[in-house]
Amino acid sequence: MESWKSHVRACLFQRDCTQQDPFSGVFNTLSKLTERFDLRETFWDEVQRTSFKGDGAMTVDNRALQLQLIESEHITEKLSQTVSDLTTVLYLKDAELQYCHSQVSRFRKEAVTHAREANILQVTLLECEFALENLSKELAVRQLNQQKLSEELAVARREKDEFLERWMEEKKDEAERVNRHNDTQERWYRFTRRLNKHLRREMLRPVEQTNGHAGHVLLGPHPPGDSPT
Amino acid sequence: MTVPNWFTNALETRNPLCATWREKSMADDKDVLRDVWFGRIPTSFTLYQDEITEREAEPFYLLLPRVSYLTLVTDKVKKHFLKVMKTEDVEEIWFEYEGTPLKWHYPIGLLFDLHASNTSLPWSITVHFKNFPERDLLHCPSNYVIEAHFMSSIKEADALKHKSQVINDMQKKDHKQLWMGLQNDKFDQFWAMNRKLMEYPTEEGGFRYIPFRIYLTMSDRPFIQKLFRPISPDGHTHTLGDLLKEMYPMAIANDDEPRRYQVVIHGIEPLLETPLQWLSEHLSHPDNFLHISVIPAPTD
Repeated sequence: MESWKSHVRACLFQRDCTQQDPFSGVFNTLSKLTERFDLRETFWDEVQRTSFKGDGAMTVDNRALQLQLIESEHITEKLSQTVSDLTTVLYLKDAELQYCHSQVSRFRKEAVTHAREANILQVTLLECEFALENLSKELAVRQLNQQKLSEELAVARREKDEFLERWMEEKKDEAERVNRHNDTQERWYRFTRRLNKHLRREMLRPVEQTNGHAGHVLLGPHPPGDSPT
Repeated sequence: MTVPNWFTNALETRNPLCATWREKSMADDKDVLRDVWFGRIPTSFTLYQDEITEREAEPFYLLLPRVSYLTLVTDKVKKHFLKVMKTEDVEEIWFEYEGTPLKWHYPIGLLFDLHASNTSLPWSITVHFKNFPERDLLHCPSNYVIEAHFMSSIKEADALKHKSQVINDMQKKDHKQLWMGLQNDKFDQFWAMNRKLMEYPTEEGGFRYIPFRIYLTMSDRPFIQKLFRPISPDGHTHTLGDLLKEMYPMAIANDDEPRRYQVVIHGIEPLLETPLQWLSEHLSHPDNFLHISVIPAPTD
């Protein structure tokens, strides 16, 4: 039994031990005596009334017998009440028994329903377990594929890095080539300028010397790459 | 779909251990119902000293049923004191304990727990036939008034528990059986009908709401009554402690401080972990309410 339930039962027992039991005996006895006293008092009033009326005084034996009769009638009344109460209780118990049977039947039906539901749930559980197993297998295959793809991706990345490196090397070489070309071109321009300068000087000199050979202009050569097409 | 074999076998043969345990558990619970029903308080009724009498009135001693109402079980008391009084001096009877008028519409056990639980026995009640305290008490001219109050409480409780479905499905004679069971102190008669009010669908695990009232001696409010479910939204069983935490947290003492209040139902202090649904089914009064008294703890 749960501890809280035992506690309630123990406390109720303890409560009755301290509150009810020490008094119930004396209270019940007092109640019975009061009842008996009331009965006798009523009887005594009746006796007094009849003797005052002069209907004929009763002897002591008669009084005792009548009192006994009244008390017996009272007891009989109480007993018949008890029998009536017990009969009622019997009917109630019979009804309770029927109620218990109906409860048993209800709980049995409920239990069967629960068992069926449990069975359905078990089947569903098995199906779920099967589906889970399939999914696990599929997952394993996909994980394997993913691993392969990851490896291929790593290779592709490595190759890409290599290509990039090579491309950078090519770019570097190209830049050097362009630089060289630029240097050559610059040198060419410089040389052309010097040649032109020299030519103009050389052309001025005969004019000063001869005065008859003026008006000839020499065009300089085109730099490499700038030649007219 | 087939039913498992183990189950059908169990139904056919009935596991003796399981059945014995269940029967014992049910028997234990029925004992609790009996103990609650047959709880008695030894009481001494004394006539108020200022009442005019023809001769000295002797006290009247009676074992009062905890679950009943004062005016329902005091016919003998009234009869006893009327013997010594003149008819013209007699007005409506009312009762008082140490200056507090006792409300007849509260169950006797609740009145005792609230006002006199830590005093010596027998409980000494003073009887008055004059100066009816109109502001404190309801008039009770006959047992019909008590019956009306009792039935209205039962209906209110069933409205909380089953949306009034059970009480409305009952016939007039069933209502009468409940009342007669209480009036004549017939446990079997009362419970043959009352058990219907204590049923609930298995899948719901309890009543819709628990009919309860918390009474505080040190408050001006007559009582605390709110909606409270026996099961929490997440499916946990609510206990007496949960209810008090929600309604009156001061009633629960912390571990590091002395206990200030006692939580009393039917003269006992149930553990705070007691499920509220079980308490409602077993420790409710015949009006189907769980009457909980919160009283100051004795200082000694």
